[in-house]
Amino acid sequence: MKVVNTHQHVKVPDEVDVTVKSRVVTVKGARGTLTKSFRHLAVDIFMPTKKTVRVEKWFGKRKELAAVRTVCSHITNLINGVTSGYKYKMRAVYAHFPINCSITEGGTLIEVRNFLGEKFIRRVRMADGVKCENSKDQKDELIVTGNSIEAVSQSAALIQQSTTVKNKDIRKFLDGLYVSEKTTVVKPED
Amino acid sequence: MPFKKFVEIGRIAVLQDGESAGKIAAIIDVIDQNRVLIDGPCSGVPRQAYRIKNIHLTPLTIKVPFSSRSKVVRAAWDAEKITQKWEESSWAKRMAMKTRRNTLNDFDRFRLQKAKTARNKILTKAANKNAKVLSKAGKL
Repeated sequence: MKVVNTHQHVKVPDEVDVTVKSRVVTVKGARGTLTKSFRHLAVDIFMPTKKTVRVEKWFGKRKELAAVRTVCSHITNLINGVTSGYKYKMRAVYAHFPINCSITEGGTLIEVRNFLGEKFIRRVRMADGVKCENSKDQKDELIVTGNSIEAVSQSAALIQQSTTVKNKDIRKFLDGLYVSEKTTVVKPED
Repeated sequence: MPFKKFVEIGRIAVLQDGESAGKIAAIIDVIDQNRVLIDGPCSGVPRQAYRIKNIHLTPLTIKVPFSSRSKVVRAAWDAEKITQKWEESSWAKRMAMKTRRNTLNDFDRFRLQKAKTARNKILTKAANKNAKVLSKAGKL
């Protein structure tokens, strides 16, 4: 059946500037600018007041109605990325062979050496706007930071999946780089 | 951009299909997802169920409770002067112009042709005069 109307609001904080035109959302904040296009969805996205974004769907079927809340979540993630950023911490776990991570090209390229003693060097390129660095105060820790949650989490996933063990019992050979913590770059004041 | 005209109680709409095509009526009640109850006591539209797909919404509305009797609708219609507002709107004027153009006979079309040439003659004369002035001043 078709539901007459569903809608959801996103509240825009004072420090953030959001503009919407033709289902392309641009969010400007202290940490930079992010844009996201929702042109593949048939939803109304507009700003009834300067500080709210309204996402609306008329006569939608089940899957179309689901898109309303996901658009709101995406916009919330854009706003959070542009105010507090996203920081994913990854720990290197190894039983015998120390994993050697070197960061090159200004934090956009990671080279993983000596994974399980292999001579093969794993190179992982970070997504646009994502930086990686070795943690200074914690041994065997990588910190992946950026504004876009999708770019940061995708880059972390690429690093994690580059260190997969082949032809072994993975319950025993647990070596690799794993995401240990998902936080923000700017710590909350409280 | 968000929608501005809604299928709601009291919305005036232009009917597109059937006997009352081209007339306006008010939406009095919603029957189900595809049909509404309409009534146009002051525009000669009998009270009936009508398909939503065959109506075009106008910016005009009247304040009536749902399922009002035709008497109540007529009172609200006259209070808001809907007939007058509709006649003055460019939408209604365009509709009237289209029907007039469709019903021209050959003599009317001849008269129209003569009127157009007369008007265009005046226009081109004025435009050329202006162009001459501008070219003399070096602006063209």
